[in-house]
Amino acid sequence: MNSVRLFFVGGLTSYRALFYWLSPTIYIPSLIVAPIFQILLFAYIGRSAGLQSDVFYVTGNAIQYAAIPCLFAMSQTVSGERFQNTLSAILVSPAKRFPLFVGRALPVMGNAAFVSAFSFAAGCIILGVTLPAGSIPGLAVVILVAAFSCTGLGLTNAAVSLRVRENAVLSNVIFGFLLIFTGANVPISELPGWMQDVSHVLPLTHAIQAARDLAAGEPFSDVTGLLATELGIGFTYLAGGLVLLRLFEWQGRKYATLEQL
Amino acid sequence: MKTLRLLGIGWLFHFKMIMRSAFDGIGQVIYPLFFATVAFFVFRAGDSPRTLLYASLGAAVMGMWSATSTTAGSAMQRERWQGTLEALVATPTNFALILLPVTIAMATIGIYSLVATLLWGRLLFGIQLTLVHPLLFVLSIPATVLTFGALGFLFAVCFVRFRAAWALGNMFEYPVWLICGFLVPLSFFPYWVRPISWILAPTWGMNAIRESSLGGSPLPDLLMCFALGTAYIALGFLVMDRLLRAARERAALSLT
Amino acid sequence: MAVVEAHDLRRVYKTHTGTIRRRVKEIEAVKSVSFQIEKGELFGLLGPNGAGKTTTIKMLITLLIPTSGHASVLGHDVVKDPREVRKRIGYVFGGERGVYERLSGYDNLRYFAELYGVPPKVQKPRIEELLELVGLKGREHERTEGYSRGMKQRLHVARGLLHDPEVVFLDEPTIGLDPVGARELRATIGTLTEAGKTILLTTHYMFEADALCDRIAVISQGEIVAEGTPAQLKSRVESGAVTEVEVYGIPDETVERLRTLEGVLSVWIEERDQAQVLSVQTRADVQLTAAILGHLNGSNVGRVSHREPTLEDAYVALVKDE
Repeated sequence: MNSVRLFFVGGLTSYRALFYWLSPTIYIPSLIVAPIFQILLFAYIGRSAGLQSDVFYVTGNAIQYAAIPCLFAMSQTVSGERFQNTLSAILVSPAKRFPLFVGRALPVMGNAAFVSAFSFAAGCIILGVTLPAGSIPGLAVVILVAAFSCTGLGLTNAAVSLRVRENAVLSNVIFGFLLIFTGANVPISELPGWMQDVSHVLPLTHAIQAARDLAAGEPFSDVTGLLATELGIGFTYLAGGLVLLRLFEWQGRKYATLEQL
Repeated sequence: MKTLRLLGIGWLFHFKMIMRSAFDGIGQVIYPLFFATVAFFVFRAGDSPRTLLYASLGAAVMGMWSATSTTAGSAMQRERWQGTLEALVATPTNFALILLPVTIAMATIGIYSLVATLLWGRLLFGIQLTLVHPLLFVLSIPATVLTFGALGFLFAVCFVRFRAAWALGNMFEYPVWLICGFLVPLSFFPYWVRPISWILAPTWGMNAIRESSLGGSPLPDLLMCFALGTAYIALGFLVMDRLLRAARERAALSLT
Repeated sequence: MAVVEAHDLRRVYKTHTGTIRRRVKEIEAVKSVSFQIEKGELFGLLGPNGAGKTTTIKMLITLLIPTSGHASVLGHDVVKDPREVRKRIGYVFGGERGVYERLSGYDNLRYFAELYGVPPKVQKPRIEELLELVGLKGREHERTEGYSRGMKQRLHVARGLLHDPEVVFLDEPTIGLDPVGARELRATIGTLTEAGKTILLTTHYMFEADALCDRIAVISQGEIVAEGTPAQLKSRVESGAVTEVEVYGIPDETVERLRTLEGVLSVWIEERDQAQVLSVQTRADVQLTAAILGHLNGSNVGRVSHREPTLEDAYVALVKDE
């Protein structure tokens, strides 16, 4: 299969896994209602605690919530193969990994970006947050970069999930970590030193900062550095995920455990 | 009597089963701790009369609610997957009586979350638990468990029809956290939200626990818990037959 | 009055296909099924996979509501009076699922004993008795997730009998069981009839229906295509007698010539290890053995045997006719 076909076929399988999520009874509660309420929850917690910064919580949570589709949907496209016993078939094929799995990641990324954007907009409207008109295009870019970066993490998580039986719990735990460490709800500066170090190597941290800067009126040129870092982090996790998949494949062949994956 | 025995045995067996899946349980307890941690940071940084203990109690009850809302919705799905939903419906016992102890067992797990969150607050942020009305505090916990179980029962009854019940159950996690006054006093919300909060038992369970700890009058709250719990159960029973019939018509009791 | 009555039962399933354009497809799993089962009868519902056996039985045990038609068990309508029906029936479905994996076999039975309203004093001895009956004694305190398929099946049987029901519905109970286990289960089913219970058994094993059932209804593609005692069904289809001859290589033209013989209904050959078995189905009123052997002169011939038409022949004919 040439790379381009792989890219699209891989994408189609992911799309089908995504179709599970596209069913209205799952999509609306999980990817429309939930992120909006997460934004509202923390905005009001902020208000209740005497911190009046709705925009802080909107930017943080709208972007952080992209983790849900990235972690769960990505995991499902990879694990879905396991359940259909086709993962080993793919792994032993000479198909090039990169286009195959990247193709798979695209719909997930697109969906994550949509979820972030929608909840962002809804949060702003409900809470009465106004953004500088000029920041909107920049924010769109930030959301896309964040979705990409988080999808990279999603791929790594998906790879690890192959080895872990209770992968839903793992995904939830990662989500929880992102909630705290990315500065979504707590300014990084308020976290203890060691936590700040962790923040800087996680996806979404820089994107959230970039979004906040843009919302505060800073020009796009000021945040390009942050976005570049975010992209780099995304690529690292993406590569890490691919390496892990390769590793598991090699292990599977060596120890005849491909079907146990 | 026979009904109490039935409920007791149902609770016992389902609690036993839940306890036997350690990993799920640990995840159930850990997940709310992340939110608790955020709440602690936010309240510590903020400038409000509400103390960290307020946050700790609120977060603890958040955990209790999670234990119910995230699992009650998917309880029926799990029964369906195991193939036991049909087996249960096929018994002559009123299905509502079979379902109620299941959700109460799930709510009981919330006690672990409550304890874990209070301990977490103590360990990491030095939050001390005070008990102005210790007896009522101890009473509030099972009262909250029972009303949460009753509300979970109502959810489970309504979601029997849907194959993706878990997603609907999960949908109620955040909203209840928000509008039941766990971390945000009801006065912060527009006036029309208030009635919604009042018909949700978590509001009163939270009040009961908070007021027995921080001071206030928990007794009216406990009475509201009881009243609402009874109302949920009654409603659930009324609706049960109709909904089961719909499931039997749509062949939604089994996977095939 | 018959214990189980089914009148024109019909069941249509709606499935949704496609995700962007959601189409509704209607599948008629059961088109029109009617039968009656008398007290103490062991009634068989025989049919291939997908014939509608499980759907029919689920309608009778109140798990599915018929799209049209009606049914009653012991005088209670399955749709209007499900609770009364459930009190008096037990059902046994096969398979790996349907038990609580994290509980022991014993706990599973205790839970369901409670749900079936078995009086508390009776529960313990009844459970012990049933464990003995199905051969799970000694393993009852292990979690059922560790049970083999056969053990789970036996647990299903025990559960179906907890409240000593008058009517028992069994859906392919021996499927997936090893031969010994299957034989034991069939013996157990036999004892149930002796105890006066009325039984509906579905199966796709012809020999099982033949051996166990007082009466059989053959179901195919959602409809009953024949009903009667095993003997009646066998005689319903003109299958004559079958002569089997062991041969070692037989030319095709000989087979063709045999086909053209007067009285021959059909000829077929089966490969069996070193030899082949030539089967000639003849009308019941003719004796063609000599003629057949005459045609085979020149080929090596081994054993010759005759056999009675089996229920399988009748069944295949009935089901294939559709």
